[in-house]
Amino acid sequence: MSIYTSTQIILAVMVVTYIVAKVLKVSTEISMFAAALTGGLAGGVGIPARHIVEGAFTYLDIILIFITATLFMNILKESGGVVFVVRGILRKFFRRKSILFVLLTFLLLLPGALTGAGSVTVLITGGMVAIVLGYMGISKPKTAAIIFILAGLSAAAPPVSLWAMLTAAGVNMPYVGFFLPLLLPCLFLSLITIFILGWRGKPVNLEKALKELPEAPQKMSWIRISLPFLAFLFLVLAGRIWPHSLPVVGLPMMFMAAAFISLLLSPVKINFLKISRNTVHQLLPLIGTLTCVGILVQIMTLTGVRGLIAITIVTLPLIAVFITLCLVLPVSEAVLMWGAAPVLGVPLVLLFNTIGLNPIIALAGMSVIWPLGDVLPPTAIIGRLTVDTVGMKEPYSKLLKYCIIPAAIIMAVGTLMVVFSKKLAFFTLL
Amino acid sequence: MPFNWLYLRKFILITLGLVLMVFAGVSFYESRHLKEPVVLSQGVTQVKKLSDYFRGIRGTINDSNIYILEGVKPGGTILILGGTHPEEPGSRLTTWILAENAEVDQGRVFVINSANRSATTVTRLGGGYPPDFTIPTPWGGQKFRMGDRWSNPLDQWPDPEAYIHYPSRQELAYVDIRNLNRTWPGRANGTLTEKTCYALIQLIRKEKVDIVIDLHEAELQYPVISTIVAHEKGQDLAALASMMISGTEGFSIGMEYSPPALHGLSHREIGDHTQAISLLLEAPEPFLDATRGRTDRELLLEGKDEFVVKAGKHGLLFEKMDENGWPVEVRVGRHCSTILQILELWSEENPGKSVMVKGVPRYAEVIEKGIGNFLHDPAKADSKRIYYE
Repeated sequence: MSIYTSTQIILAVMVVTYIVAKVLKVSTEISMFAAALTGGLAGGVGIPARHIVEGAFTYLDIILIFITATLFMNILKESGGVVFVVRGILRKFFRRKSILFVLLTFLLLLPGALTGAGSVTVLITGGMVAIVLGYMGISKPKTAAIIFILAGLSAAAPPVSLWAMLTAAGVNMPYVGFFLPLLLPCLFLSLITIFILGWRGKPVNLEKALKELPEAPQKMSWIRISLPFLAFLFLVLAGRIWPHSLPVVGLPMMFMAAAFISLLLSPVKINFLKISRNTVHQLLPLIGTLTCVGILVQIMTLTGVRGLIAITIVTLPLIAVFITLCLVLPVSEAVLMWGAAPVLGVPLVLLFNTIGLNPIIALAGMSVIWPLGDVLPPTAIIGRLTVDTVGMKEPYSKLLKYCIIPAAIIMAVGTLMVVFSKKLAFFTLL
Repeated sequence: MPFNWLYLRKFILITLGLVLMVFAGVSFYESRHLKEPVVLSQGVTQVKKLSDYFRGIRGTINDSNIYILEGVKPGGTILILGGTHPEEPGSRLTTWILAENAEVDQGRVFVINSANRSATTVTRLGGGYPPDFTIPTPWGGQKFRMGDRWSNPLDQWPDPEAYIHYPSRQELAYVDIRNLNRTWPGRANGTLTEKTCYALIQLIRKEKVDIVIDLHEAELQYPVISTIVAHEKGQDLAALASMMISGTEGFSIGMEYSPPALHGLSHREIGDHTQAISLLLEAPEPFLDATRGRTDRELLLEGKDEFVVKAGKHGLLFEKMDENGWPVEVRVGRHCSTILQILELWSEENPGKSVMVKGVPRYAEVIEKGIGNFLHDPAKADSKRIYYE
């Protein structure tokens, strides 16, 4: 039996296991774990304890960033900071729809950009923004579509873009030069989305909105909100300005410092242990996914399945790669979530690099397309989370319908970034 | 009281998790503590520790052995670094052959088998690497740790948000703060990896090393391959060695200039910060390619892979790849011959600083006899002549 056939059989066993597990309503992360186990057995390596545990630790650093950043955001929300900001924005700009849209866009982009998780955006600011959009007369499915798309783009936005980070790590490429190539399309596409879907929204009825929104604590102020962010910014900048005079702190500790400052400055008493427990509980599905993606990727690499996928992709006709990119990436995200980055992203970036495209711009273009898959079954984690947060009672297909136009624009922009990455390379140097 | 299935499920899952952890833990412990014997060649006159040159490294995992071979006649001094990236085994195996076989008539040769010993104790997360590999020998076989490209996070963690290289302030990938070939020339009060480079720089300065040769292997999709990367000070030497090897040894090796703006690498910083000429040798290692198939010891040692061959047929590689692959003997043989050629050319051009070495096999001999033939049985050796990596 040729190596191609035997590896294809292992891949088939993994795919069948995954499908069967999903049909049996097993969670995505356990389905991936089951696929890894049967892949190992089919590949003749048995149940390789060392590789399972090693794979589980692949994304430990990213998981720690996730937990600490979300804890920071949750403390900010619990202290009344988020509602304070929303009320402040409404009071100031309730008559000016365009400015309101811009500010709501920033509000939605920030949590995901800092944490790399669209779910954090949905959970932290999604609900509040949904209330504001509701006061503007925008329907729930449209509101859900806005929040879903912007949450996805927030996850792709810098500084923490997991798809770009995981792929870059897989090809030994520094995660450097990505800031503008990720920020500009994410910002542009977010604004386009909110303006297209929210265009028919009316000015806010301020009195009604303020009455229905939760009250912010009396002592909450802009200083209390901005100080933790400033502290975080200071730690990031200090590490860059005086890197050889300060100890290495790491992003998780920086987020923890910001979280503690937020806790200290909170005008309301916060039960730190309870909020920490809730944060971990809230993130368990994502932590589980990242852990199982690591295990799956390790077993795929061990058995040669990853190589099979890689070699199949990099030897496809280039035009076919470009044309199918906008479909393959979201579908891979729907099946593997972040696992799509090391499995598909790595060979694609190597291919683009080999043919002379700019790998950073190309990867940034791919990174804005990937999150669209989070609304698609079988996982649809962010899509489902958004529906729950917004309180949408209409069929799920309504959300998908309103996502079509912005998704098509995102796919077009992402694909064009890949195709013309060489000409856009100057963005990596700015 | 009704039976609680949830508790039973939790108990079973925790038990299974613990079983996995125990089996994996034993494997991790064994790899980290695997003893790799070095049976010293008659030519080794001293064994020092890296901390003899910088006390800041004492007691750490990176306080590596330095095997010193001294000739009767005074001459030049050369330092050979193996294990900068331990996942490139051809590098460490070459230094093993040198430390166990070389004898020096003139000058001095310093050999370090594990420049980044910490990186020899960990394997790539997500990489599916085997924990170790065995080189067959006439007396059985010798087992080596597999290793990774970066220092073990158990020894250096966390990574910074951004890695700013010292002293150039160039921003590099954050993870490369644990990469020994991105932290040159190092810092006395830096991280473990930076301190290791600092200690090596002190050695190079104190011992007045003339040439440093840093041994590596690379994936075939990487453009810097089958080449000598040379600092400006070593360009003529490297170019001449490349020409001579291509004409006499039965294989080709190129020569590339060390980019002046790319910081942290040995071929740049050693040349810039010390009196030594710095050269870096690259040999092809298909095991490192992202398109590789099954990741196992066979691929590591034989270097044969059909998927990588296919990538080559589509013009995606920077080195030829066929069904013969790149066996480890070929890679080690290339390193041995290139080192010998460099020394011969150096000695011809600098008679007062000659380094005359014998007992080291060349390319053809390594391929013909195998690496194991140049590794000595520790069971039959004088225990005082055995050191462990």
